[in-house]
Amino acid sequence: MKRFLEDTKARIVQWLGQRASRDINFVDRLCRRLLDRVLRLPPENDFLRDEWVDSDVGFDPDELDRYQRGETE
Amino acid sequence: MSAPRHPSRTKPGVETKRTLCATCDVSCNVVTEVKKGRVVRVRSSDNPIFRDNICMKGIVAPKAFAHPNRLMHPLKRVGERGSGKWEQVSWDEAMTDIAARLQAIIDRDGPEAWAVSTSQWNTATDHGLGRRLMNHLGSPNWISGVALCAGNTAAINRMTYGWFPFADFPNTNCIVLIGHNPRRNSWVPVYNQIRRAQARGAKLIVLDPRKSSNAELADVWLPLRAGTDTAMLFGWLKVIFDEGLYDKDFVENWTVGFDELRARVDEFPLDRVAKITGCDPEEIRKAARIYATHGPAVIPWTPITDMQRNSTSGIRLQSILRSVCGYVDVPGGEALQGFHPHVIPESKIEAHEMLSEEQKAKQLGSDTHPAFTYRGQAGLLEHTKRVWGYEYTNQVTGCFMANPSATFRAMAGEGRYPVKAFFSLGNNTLLSFANMPLILKGMMNQDLIVVHEQFMTPTAQLADYVLPGDSWLERPWLHDSFGWSSMVRPSQKSMEPLGECESTFSVWKRLATAMGRGDIIPWDTLEDFYDYRLEPSGMSWAEFSESYEIYFGPLEFRKYEKTGFATPSGKVELKSSILEGLGFDPLPYFRDDPPPNPEYPLMMFTGVREDEFFQTGQRHVPELRARKPEPNLFVSPGTAKAQGIAEGDWAEVINPTGSAAMQVLVKDAMPDGLVRIPHGWWKPEMKQGAGHLSGALAHADAQLCPDDEDFLDREQGVPHLKGIPCRIERLDAPPEGAQ
Repeated sequence: MKRFLEDTKARIVQWLGQRASRDINFVDRLCRRLLDRVLRLPPENDFLRDEWVDSDVGFDPDELDRYQRGETE
Repeated sequence: MSAPRHPSRTKPGVETKRTLCATCDVSCNVVTEVKKGRVVRVRSSDNPIFRDNICMKGIVAPKAFAHPNRLMHPLKRVGERGSGKWEQVSWDEAMTDIAARLQAIIDRDGPEAWAVSTSQWNTATDHGLGRRLMNHLGSPNWISGVALCAGNTAAINRMTYGWFPFADFPNTNCIVLIGHNPRRNSWVPVYNQIRRAQARGAKLIVLDPRKSSNAELADVWLPLRAGTDTAMLFGWLKVIFDEGLYDKDFVENWTVGFDELRARVDEFPLDRVAKITGCDPEEIRKAARIYATHGPAVIPWTPITDMQRNSTSGIRLQSILRSVCGYVDVPGGEALQGFHPHVIPESKIEAHEMLSEEQKAKQLGSDTHPAFTYRGQAGLLEHTKRVWGYEYTNQVTGCFMANPSATFRAMAGEGRYPVKAFFSLGNNTLLSFANMPLILKGMMNQDLIVVHEQFMTPTAQLADYVLPGDSWLERPWLHDSFGWSSMVRPSQKSMEPLGECESTFSVWKRLATAMGRGDIIPWDTLEDFYDYRLEPSGMSWAEFSESYEIYFGPLEFRKYEKTGFATPSGKVELKSSILEGLGFDPLPYFRDDPPPNPEYPLMMFTGVREDEFFQTGQRHVPELRARKPEPNLFVSPGTAKAQGIAEGDWAEVINPTGSAAMQVLVKDAMPDGLVRIPHGWWKPEMKQGAGHLSGALAHADAQLCPDDEDFLDREQGVPHLKGIPCRIERLDAPPEGAQ
């Protein structure tokens, strides 16, 4: 019985993950929300938080063009 | 199907693509944002199972690949090798000449005179096509960084239970990190999985000489001496056997060689293990008990045990621990997944059956260190086919490789036969293996060197042709976990390649065509090739990449109950019939260090990646270099004092193989007597060409890594990077180019 329950739990986890990754219909999105709630960690659990990563940096396309041409800022 | 994937984050004028970051070997699912035809931002996936799987290297990728020094056109050497004199040529011109020169070498010296070094992790769109071409043309001499990082682990795991398992983090109750230290900017998904597992109560055991960041959060930290993993694992087994904590049903029904193993384990009482490892016997006992009783548990793959003189025994002991505790192919344990049934695996693409037995027998290193060569894996073929469907199952691209050290010796004219043509793709070969002086000698002895790269690396500086490589932003990718698990993920092309940059697929296709063998790679484009690989799924590449972020194979546990294990006995081989057949000890064993040399009183370990860089890459990125401008050696306060060095000093690390200059950092987390140095340093801003090699001759750790027999694993021939004797000498002034 224990073996059956463990196997079933693992299959449910994978099924949820696959549906969430499709994100096409209502069931997919429901799975995504459920996983979002289960998997979200409080920030203190991420004990190596990094300013660089948190700030979600992006670039400007013209800035990248200038950089590629070797123009210094 | 065509609905916006993430409507809440869609911005006007910005197109998003679901992409796999290939800056390091983890391949995180990320989202790229595209403006005016170029990627301007890389951000975390909106999918909760991939959320926060992103690091600074991925974030800065748009700028890293827009660097003004990016290679944009094929270059042909016009001066002496390493003179730094090049002329720009067309792809057609380059490939026509390369093909003619390669064919001439093959005609003169045989196809085995052609060696290739690559890492599928880095080249990503090779998909085994390089090996396919080599196998058709007759060369067995393919080498890769996976020889000492995951690929070799796969080959050795297969000797125990026929497959390289994948840790089931979401369901596990206990995680063991052996020297492995996943962080916020390094092996990020593993870091996040560990934090999630701990948050739901899983135990964490860390074995590491340093008090690493994971060690700080562990339930048990074992500060073992560097390079003594194998002895430590014997200690765990001693506790588990003596206290009867193993899975007796599984051992009785599904293993062979238990009595012989037990006798070997009895040679390692805890006081002996404590003496070798330097750890408290009670802490060793505590860790072993937790592992055996808080399962299902996982020992995730770690590059640390891959790189030791006892690697084969250490990796075997990990696989034996998993087995005797009943954690193989169960939820929360180590899954043996097989290939995805709906995707043609790279193992089939590679066409190993096309290489004759005569040519396989010529594979360099197979006579002395055969474990991951054709000869070493031959005993598994029929059993692998029986269980997993393919005779030549090449997991993590690391089975059926030549031995790197033997290959470099042949390149240097010291081998069984000459190697005179060398191709390096996405692999800064010179800095990526042990004994850099030997590799340099081998490269200078070549008739033809071709390098496919994004930047002018030290290896590229010695080439005849440098071909410009595309980036992961500029190509699609079908990621099949390198045959490790049955998960398949798509990566959408985000932007057109810059300049004349092309994929590895393109290089192999062009070469095959130029050699008059276009039939070997018949697909016109990567997309056509992916359509072929996805045929069993009934989906085209376009449909697949629009529909899925991850595509799991069927989930089935304890498959061995139906098929047996893919070993000669059909069981878990605690005593390996394959190793015995090759003339090695079939049981794990422990080789101690060679006698100490008073001239080199300290121990050094290398191979650890810094957060800012992956392997030898990224030193050209200003934002990353600003965080880590110089190569740093780490020592304890006690060692610093004893050596007369202080934080910020420059020092030279010296041993009989070579020397390298590093800037000193003093860390309380380091044990006395141990020096940690970083992997893969060169400085792209420094002078190029022979005699300089952009600072590689001053800073690369490969100059300090020996590959003589005392420092090679016997079965695999991988170098011992975790405990190399050395000394430190303070430099009076910073070396040239220090910032």
